[in-house]
Amino acid sequence: MNAWITGLGTIASLELRQRVRSVAWIVLLSIVFVVVGLVTLLLWFALAQFGEDGIDNAAIYSSIIFFVLLVGTLVTPAVSGGAINAERDAGTLATTQVTLVSASQIVLGKFLAAWTIALTFLAASLPFIVLAVVLGGVPFETLLSSLGVLVLELGVVSAIGVGLSGLQTRALFSVVTTYLVVAALSIGTLIAFGLGGLVNQTQVRNVYIGLDYSGPVDPETGIPEEIRCLEPQVSTYQVPRFDRVWWFLAANPYIVLADASPTTFDSNGYPEDLFGGIGLGIRQAQIPPETESVYDECEEARNGFKGSNDYPTPEEIYASTVPSWFVGLLIHAILAALALWGATARTRTPSKRLPKGSRVA
Amino acid sequence: MTTHPAIAVEGVARSFGDVHAVRDVSFEARAGSVTALIGPNGSGKTTLLLMLATLLEPDRGSIRIEGHDPVADPRAVRRVMGWMPDVLGSWATLTVRQTLETTARLYEIDAAQARVRASELIDLVGLEPLADQPTRVLSRGQKQRLSLARALVHRPSVLLLDEPASGLDPAARIDLRILVRRLASEGAAILVSSHVLAELDEMADEAVYIDAGVTASRASVEASRATVRDWRVRALDPAGLTAALAELGVPTSGTDHLGVLVPVTGEAEAAALLTRLTGHGVGISAFGPAVGDLEHTFLDLAKGGRS
Repeated sequence: MNAWITGLGTIASLELRQRVRSVAWIVLLSIVFVVVGLVTLLLWFALAQFGEDGIDNAAIYSSIIFFVLLVGTLVTPAVSGGAINAERDAGTLATTQVTLVSASQIVLGKFLAAWTIALTFLAASLPFIVLAVVLGGVPFETLLSSLGVLVLELGVVSAIGVGLSGLQTRALFSVVTTYLVVAALSIGTLIAFGLGGLVNQTQVRNVYIGLDYSGPVDPETGIPEEIRCLEPQVSTYQVPRFDRVWWFLAANPYIVLADASPTTFDSNGYPEDLFGGIGLGIRQAQIPPETESVYDECEEARNGFKGSNDYPTPEEIYASTVPSWFVGLLIHAILAALALWGATARTRTPSKRLPKGSRVA
Repeated sequence: MTTHPAIAVEGVARSFGDVHAVRDVSFEARAGSVTALIGPNGSGKTTLLLMLATLLEPDRGSIRIEGHDPVADPRAVRRVMGWMPDVLGSWATLTVRQTLETTARLYEIDAAQARVRASELIDLVGLEPLADQPTRVLSRGQKQRLSLARALVHRPSVLLLDEPASGLDPAARIDLRILVRRLASEGAAILVSSHVLAELDEMADEAVYIDAGVTASRASVEASRATVRDWRVRALDPAGLTAALAELGVPTSGTDHLGVLVPVTGEAEAAALLTRLTGHGVGISAFGPAVGDLEHTFLDLAKGGRS
């Protein structure tokens, strides 16, 4: 076990030493630092126009975190995408395979190195994140959860990048496929969610029993002095069933990031920040529409419109639904594990088959 | 010496789709000897070495390296086997020393010993001036030497060298030959594939001939060795030599810048010819086969394969 870890460490440090000395890494790191800094500055000026209250500062924070996730998921495929197939091309994979390290050590070691490199990009944006936290008065737990999700999501992209580089022969193709996977998760899930909800429609039947306002109305309460009910009006219409496809959206890394941050609610039970608002959206999508609803205005009038409001507050919705960030992370973890497992199987020697057009040595 | 052969290959075959790279290869290589693996381009040498190096699974047949099966127990084979590939890959940003240290670490050698071993190997292959240079600055021949050093990191008892001499200058070739002979004398079993047959002639104790994925049988190798071949004779007085050969009724097959070529069958006949020529008073300055043993056998087998 000890020797196994040492071998893993040797592979990871070998990979790191090769990457960290590359000019590409330093250039990318500087670009990330400058771009995140600029975006922070611009956001600050843009949103400061709206006033100085907490929600705006929280919006700046949320936007910066989203931007860091965007940059991280754009840069990570570039640094992880050729980890295995580029070495196979260069002839250095085979000389590693004939040593005592196993395929799983090679793949996992490369994954750990790619993850570490990806985290250096997060570290380059950290000053601006901290700035937004300090200036915006963002709760410490929010910072902690955002960073946690960012670290995990970069790990997922690294794993997919390294995995695909083990599964595909050409380094260029594996980098491009990794970008496609990132795009599918970031944008594809939104499209799938929207279309999926529209395709899956359910008929809803709504009964409305109205109140006859044609007689004299009490000027104080606005209720007719004599309560007369109208004929029940039945209407049917189609509603999209987002509750059947909400997990598409749960797999979106931005939703995971938003939903994972602990939400604070105001006195009416509404979330106070942007992340909470997005989280509320995905939580609401989980609730199936009521297929039969009755609104009896007549009955309400008899109670003097004092009847309890039975709509749940956002806070109650949060409490009653599945935390979608957890589902999203689970989906991502499964994808990452599958990619690494596939790459390990492909890198195992003696190999039975060769990828088309490639040599072992 | 051990009782079992260090490398034992029996009826091995491997194809890639419709390409039958290796069809039927059987041979043995003993510890303490250098075995040459000889065959034309595309004859399956590299594929065979990949199977011996635990990288490729054979479709058929059995391989034993020091008694271990590369398919069932690749780790046991890797522990005792060193492989120098024909493709020269190196970790471009690492120095020569770091490359060897890292390789040692991958063979589960601890950090302190890895450092010592790296220094030893840098000395051994003569890369001292470049030890702390990144490997991307190395020339082809220097990379070749690094590749050999890497194959020796864990003191393997079975060494597989795929075209080790290509890209080496004459001095480095001589160094390589001396090193290979020394490793063999220390008890290693060494399998060398090469196109440079003259090189192998001076290095190898045994030879395995492979053509179109099939090893030549021992009988056909023996037969080839015994066929007529040219010997080159050089005399102080070329005219006198030509005259003497004509007088003795010995046919010649040509003359080149080094001497006269005389077809001879077997070493006994060659010895007899030399005695007759010296008896005739010709001052012989050089007398030997025009082409090396391996080359002769190789060419003869190739001819036989085609007819």
